Amino acid sequence: MSECVWIHYARPRPHWYGLDDAARSVHEARWRAVAERSVLAGGSRVGRYHVRGQQDFETVEIWTFPSAETAFEHWAALTAAAYGELNAFANNIGLAVEGSP
Amino acid sequence: MTLLTEATDVFAAAEQSGHCLVAFIAKRQPLASGVFGREEAHRLKDILQTLQAEGWLMSVRAMFDRPDGSVEAFDTGFAHDADMVGAFEAPSLSAGLAGTIRLERAGWARRFVTEWLLGPREFSTVQGRGERIDHTWGFLALWEWNDAWAAATKAERRAYDEECDIAFNGDLGLGINIAGRHRLDWASRWHHAGLWEAPSLDAVDLAMQGHEAAADFKFTTSRHYVGRLRPLQDFIELDSERG
Repeated sequence: MSECVWIHYARPRPHWYGLDDAARSVHEARWRAVAERSVLAGGSRVGRYHVRGQQDFETVEIWTFPSAETAFEHWAALTAAAYGELNAFANNIGLAVEGSP
Repeated sequence: MTLLTEATDVFAAAEQSGHCLVAFIAKRQPLASGVFGREEAHRLKDILQTLQAEGWLMSVRAMFDRPDGSVEAFDTGFAHDADMVGAFEAPSLSAGLAGTIRLERAGWARRFVTEWLLGPREFSTVQGRGERIDHTWGFLALWEWNDAWAAATKAERRAYDEECDIAFNGDLGLGINIAGRHRLDWASRWHHAGLWEAPSLDAVDLAMQGHEAAADFKFTTSRHYVGRLRPLQDFIELDSERG
């Protein structure tokens, strides 16, 4: 298994804006719990950045995972928690380049 | 694995094979002399054989039947800005991802500019009805569930799936073989890939009319490719050797 970078672009879908703060907090707590479990599984969250100025999406979030499978499990857990129903997204996966300067 | 949507009458959830689709949308590059020669063509042929020996399926056909060793793609240049599309299936996600890099390094990256699409199988293959015919056409559908699908209730999505099943049943009636469904959303903007073998371009066109009638596209944004079955080797060969 080789370390993977996982790059995740996202923006809220239109009906997200119709939810009240309490409903949003419930969803965000579930997604935070997924992220915490993924860290325990060996994932590392580099950070989440605002890119709306130069992108179709609002944020980009970057993770590293021990393998492609752990990256998939992270995403599968998020989508099972309705993440993709409330956020439009585009994802990338990549292997670390060996011997890169 | 958690399915992105539920199984339907037409589609059954795949067994936990762990197999990973490695689909490609590729364009041959115009190359300066010496960039891609016989040595690179041989290396590419070798790595394709090596992957097959490691348990990869090397064509859409191989997803239905026991592989016969053919390495095939679909010739799409007549209708698209890609010269070929095609699909392998790797034994695992890790093998699939690493395999794209092994291919690129063996010379694929010199020959082709490629969009790779990777992801696990969700639904099993479904054989079209009727006599087994020589399928010489292929079809790749990429789609994402749009905002309207995301905002719909579970009951609305279930009703939509049932309506789409009517269209998929129509596809099978046209003799189209559907290579199940693969999930792409973990590593793409697309959520799913659907690969078909079809007896003719007419069959694909009729099938699309059926999907429009079933309002398939009210909940999806799609991109479709059609192409004629052709050995992958034809696209790898040197320009001077290409018919």
